Amino acid sequence: MMKTTLSVCFLLLGVIMHSQENFSVSGTIKDFSNGESVFGASVYLENTSNGTITNAYGFYSLSAPKGTYNLVVSYLGYVTVSRQIQLDKNQNVSFELEEDTTTLDEVVITAEESEKANIRDPQMSVSVIKGETIKKIPAVLGEVDLVKSIQMLPGVTNNGEGSNGFNVRGGATDQNLVLLDEAIIYNESHLFGFFSVFNADVVKDVKLYKGNIPSNYGGRVSSVLDIRQKEGNSKDFDLTGGIGLISSRLAAEGPLFKSKGSFIVAGRSSYAHLFLQAAGQDNTAYFYDVNAKGNYEINQNNKLYLSGYFGRDILNFSDSFKNSYGNSTLNLRWNHVFNDKLFSNLSVIYSMYNYGLTLDFIGLDWQSDIKNFNVKYDFKYYLNNKTTIDFGVSGINYNFNPGEVRPTDEDSSINEDILDEKRAFESGVYANVEHKFTDRLNLQLGLRFSLFNRLGGQAISTYENNQPVVYNENFGIYEEGTKTGEIDYSKGESIKTFSNFEPRLGLAYQLNESSSVKLGYSRIAQYLHLLSNTANATPLDVWAPSGTFIEPQLANQYSIGYFKELSNGLFSIETEAYYKTVDNRIDYIDGSNLIAQNNIETQILSGESRAYGLEFLFRKNKGRFTGWFAYTLSKSEQRTPGGSAGGLGINDGEWYNTAYDRTHDLSVTGSYELSEKWSLSSNFIFQTGRPTTYPVGQYEYEGLSIPVYDSRNANRLPSYNRLDVGATYTPNKKPNAKWKGEWVFSIYNLYDRKNAASISFGQNLETGVNEATRTAIFGIVPSITYNFKF
Amino acid sequence: MKNTLYIFLVALFSMLTSCTDVVEVDVPTADARLVIEASLDIVKGTSGMEQTIKLSTTTPYFETEEPRAVTGAEVTVTRVSDNAVFVFEDQLNGEYTTTSFGALLDETYTLNVVYNGETFTATETLLPTTSITRVTQSRDGGFLPEALELNVYFNDPVDETNFYILRYFEVGDLYPTLFSVSDEFLNGNEVHMFFEKDGDDEEDEFEPGDIVDVNLYNVSETYYNYMDILIGQSGSSGNPFSPAPVELRGNCINITNADNYPYGYFRVTQTDAVTYTFIEDEE
Repeated sequence: MMKTTLSVCFLLLGVIMHSQENFSVSGTIKDFSNGESVFGASVYLENTSNGTITNAYGFYSLSAPKGTYNLVVSYLGYVTVSRQIQLDKNQNVSFELEEDTTTLDEVVITAEESEKANIRDPQMSVSVIKGETIKKIPAVLGEVDLVKSIQMLPGVTNNGEGSNGFNVRGGATDQNLVLLDEAIIYNESHLFGFFSVFNADVVKDVKLYKGNIPSNYGGRVSSVLDIRQKEGNSKDFDLTGGIGLISSRLAAEGPLFKSKGSFIVAGRSSYAHLFLQAAGQDNTAYFYDVNAKGNYEINQNNKLYLSGYFGRDILNFSDSFKNSYGNSTLNLRWNHVFNDKLFSNLSVIYSMYNYGLTLDFIGLDWQSDIKNFNVKYDFKYYLNNKTTIDFGVSGINYNFNPGEVRPTDEDSSINEDILDEKRAFESGVYANVEHKFTDRLNLQLGLRFSLFNRLGGQAISTYENNQPVVYNENFGIYEEGTKTGEIDYSKGESIKTFSNFEPRLGLAYQLNESSSVKLGYSRIAQYLHLLSNTANATPLDVWAPSGTFIEPQLANQYSIGYFKELSNGLFSIETEAYYKTVDNRIDYIDGSNLIAQNNIETQILSGESRAYGLEFLFRKNKGRFTGWFAYTLSKSEQRTPGGSAGGLGINDGEWYNTAYDRTHDLSVTGSYELSEKWSLSSNFIFQTGRPTTYPVGQYEYEGLSIPVYDSRNANRLPSYNRLDVGATYTPNKKPNAKWKGEWVFSIYNLYDRKNAASISFGQNLETGVNEATRTAIFGIVPSITYNFKF
Repeated sequence: MKNTLYIFLVALFSMLTSCTDVVEVDVPTADARLVIEASLDIVKGTSGMEQTIKLSTTTPYFETEEPRAVTGAEVTVTRVSDNAVFVFEDQLNGEYTTTSFGALLDETYTLNVVYNGETFTATETLLPTTSITRVTQSRDGGFLPEALELNVYFNDPVDETNFYILRYFEVGDLYPTLFSVSDEFLNGNEVHMFFEKDGDDEEDEFEPGDIVDVNLYNVSETYYNYMDILIGQSGSSGNPFSPAPVELRGNCINITNADNYPYGYFRVTQTDAVTYTFIEDEE
C-alpha cells in the first residue's frame, strides 16, 4: 500500500520537473444545432502528438511551446473544424460543431467516436453508449430501455425479464454504482425490472465501467454505470415525444435567459391496468417518472446546473395491497474554470429511495427508505501536454430507515414497531494521474482513500461469546445467537470506522497505429450491502451499512485486454480477461428472515466470492450496417465458511455458484439503414440458465409433500435465448418541416420462446401430485410506437 | 406474518405475468433418508392417549407412489421427569401407535427410534395452548373482495413471546393449509387470521356447506422456525421472490451416525380444535 502511495508521489514529482515553459489553449466544444456540450471530441494540434479529449462538460485544455499551430476538433458524424492559432499567450478557443450533412445522401451512419475501442486510452473495461444507440435497439413493447441495452455488452447479464438490476462480471446487483447525473440510484427498475427508470429521451450518454474503475468513483465493487442527462437545447425550443402501447412520453427543451442557459423537462407514464389480464378491474400497476435539468452560464468560467429525477411505481391489488416506491434525486452543480489549466466542478446531491406498502387485509402499513446527502468537489488539472491530474473529495451522509410497521386502523392486530434507524458517513479523497510516457505508453495511476464512519443514534446488540449466529451441532443448523444486552450509542458517537486505500492502475501500450494491449488493476471497498435472500432482488430489499458485525466488501480486480481497429476504424475488436475477488461477501443462513429484521447480524455469515472470465467484442462502427457481436465465458462463485459461528458454513463451506453465474453469454445486435425511410434492427441473446436449487427428493409431513433440498445453486434453469427485430419508418423527410415523426415497429422474442424466469415446485391443487411450474414473462410481443419531434 | 410480505410479492409477480405452465424437469435424487413425523397432538379437553408416529423414507421428487413406509423400527417416547416409557406398536404400514400416552402439560418428552441399528432421538416439551376465541365467516375481508373467508380469533398473551401454527383442513381436501404466526408485531392483541381459498376460478372458493377443521397450536420457537421454512417451501418454492430454497433440518438427531441425519420433527403439543361449517350469508 505504502509503495503505491510513494510511486504516485514520485510520478507527480517527475512530471512537475519535466514541465517547461508552455502556453495553453482551452475552451468548450458544443453541438451547433442544439448547444449541447460534446463529450469525447478529439482536440489536437495538427502535426504534433499533442491532443486531448473533451470532458463530460465539453471542456478541453492543451498546452504546447510558443508557436503557430492548427487547432483541429474532430468528432465522428460532425464536420471537422480547424483554426490557426498563435500560441504566444494562454487563450480560450471554443467551437460549435455542425453535423456532417454531406454523409446524409449516402446514408452513412457511424458509431460515435467514443463508442469505439479507444486504442490509446489507458482506461479499459469501459463501454460507452449514446442515447441514440440505445434507441435503435429493439425493445420489449417498444419501450426503449437503457438497462436492457447494456446487457447486450460482454460481461453484463441479468436474471432475465422481471428481475431488478443487472450483473457485471459475476457481481451482484447491489455491487453496481448507478449514477444519474451523479446522484446514486438505489433501484434502477420499474415494475420488477420490466423497464428501467431511465427515460431514453433525456439520456445523453451512458458510461459503464466493468473494471479498472477510475479513482474518482468508489463505494461499489463491481461496476459504475454513469448516466448523464441532456442539458437541453440552448438554441431552439423543441418538443419530443412518443406514444406507445405501454407508455407515452413527452420532453420539452429550449433556451433560457437569452440563450445563456437551457432546460429540459421530460415526463413518462405507463398506462394503468397494464398487464392485468387475469385480475379484476380494481387492480392497477403503473409507473411514471419526471426528469428535469436546467443550466445557466454565468460567464465563460462559471456555469450552474440543476437536475432532478422523480419516479414512482404504483401497484394496487383490489384495495387489499397498496404499494408505491421509487427514487428521487436533486443535484446542483457549479462548473468553475479557475484558469486555462484547472477545471473544477462542485456538486451538492440529494438522493432517496423509499418503499411503501399497505396490506389492508391484515391492517399493516410498512415504510422504509434510504436517503443520502452528498457533496463532491472534483478538479481536473491539465498539467502539460503529457499529464492530466484529476483529484477531489467527496462526503456522503447516509440515513437508513430499514422499516416502520404501523397498524392501518383501530381494528388492526398489528402493533407499531420501528426498526432502528441507522446512520453513516462515507468520505473519500482521490487523485488520478494520466501520463503519456512515450507515444506508445500511457499510464493511469489512481489512489482513493475511503473512510466509513458508522454513526450512533441507535443501540447495538451484544451476544453471548460475541456470536450473533451460532451453529447448532445437534441439528446441523445455524441459529440466532443469544442476546446478552445492548450498547447504546448517542448520535455524536461513532460505532465503528473503516478505512481503505484503494489503488487503481491502468496501462496502455500501443503495439502499432491500430492495436494496443492494456492492463488494469483496481481495489475497491464497498461499505453498503443490499439485504436480499431471494433469487431476484426485490424493491422491498433494504440496504444495510457496515458496522460492528458486517465488514465492508473489498474487491481486487485484475484485467488484461487486447484492442484492435481494422480497416481504418471500420471494425474494432476488444478482448479482455479478468479475475476478481471480493472479501466479506455476506450470505444468508438457511431459513434466514430478513424482513423487518432489526438484528440482521443474526441471519448472515461472512464469506468471499470470486469471478473470472473472458470477454470478446467485435464491432462494426461505420456504414449502412452497424452493430456488434459480444461473447463472454465466465464463472462466478462464492464460499461462506462458518467462521466464529462454528460449523462448516453454508453449503458445508464448499464453493457454490452465485445466482448470477452464467457460463456463456452471447449477444448480437445490428442495425441496417435500408433507405432514407426505412431502417431495420435486430438482436439475439443466448445465456446459460441461471443457477437455482432443484429438489432432490420428497417426503410427506402433515399430509403435505415436502421437497428435499441440499446443495445451494447446484442446478440451472434452461438456457435463456431470444431474437428481437425492429423497423423504423420515417415518412417523407421534408428537410424544412419542423414536425418530424417516425414509426417504430418491433417484435420482441420473435420465435416465442418461453424463457423460464423461474421454475417452482409444488403440489397440484387437484391431484396433489408434485409438479414443476415454469413462469415465463414475455412470449412473442409485437409493438408499435410513434415518436415525434416538434 | 413476515411471510405475508413475500406472499404479497409473489402475488404481485403473478399478477404481472400470469404466464405459467407445467413443464418436465429432470431433477437429481439424493440418497434416501429416514423421515420421522412424530406429531403428538393433544386436543384440548381430551386425554390424548391415542397417538401415532409415522416413519418413512424420502423418495425421488416426481415419484407418485405412496411414501415408502418404514417397518421394523422400535419406537418409544419417554416422559423425562418420571421415566415413564410409552411404546409405539409397529402397525407394519409405517405407522406406530399407542393407546396409553400419558400427556402432562409442561412435561418434557424424549423420542427414541431404533432403525437399521441406528438410534434417533429428539426432545420436546408439551406446552399449553392459547384458545381460539371465535370463528366467523365474511366476504369483505381477505385478498379477494367477493370470496368467502374464515376468520379465526385468539388472544395473544402479553407477557411472553409466542409462536403459533394454524392448521386449516377442509373436509374432502387432499391436504391441509398451514400458517406460522409469531407475535412479533401482534404481542398482547386479539389476533385475527383469515383463511380464504383461491384458485383459478370461483369454484375453488369456499361455499356454504363447506366444513373446515381449524387447529391452533402453541409451539416452540425452534418448531416455528422449522415450520416457517417448511410452509414456504411446500408452497411454491423456486419463485423468484421467495427465499432461495434450503435444506430443512428438524430436531431429530442420529446419535449412532450423525451424517445419516433424519428429516421430520418430534413435537408434543396441545391444540385447540374447532370445526366450522359455512352457512348461507345474508346478502
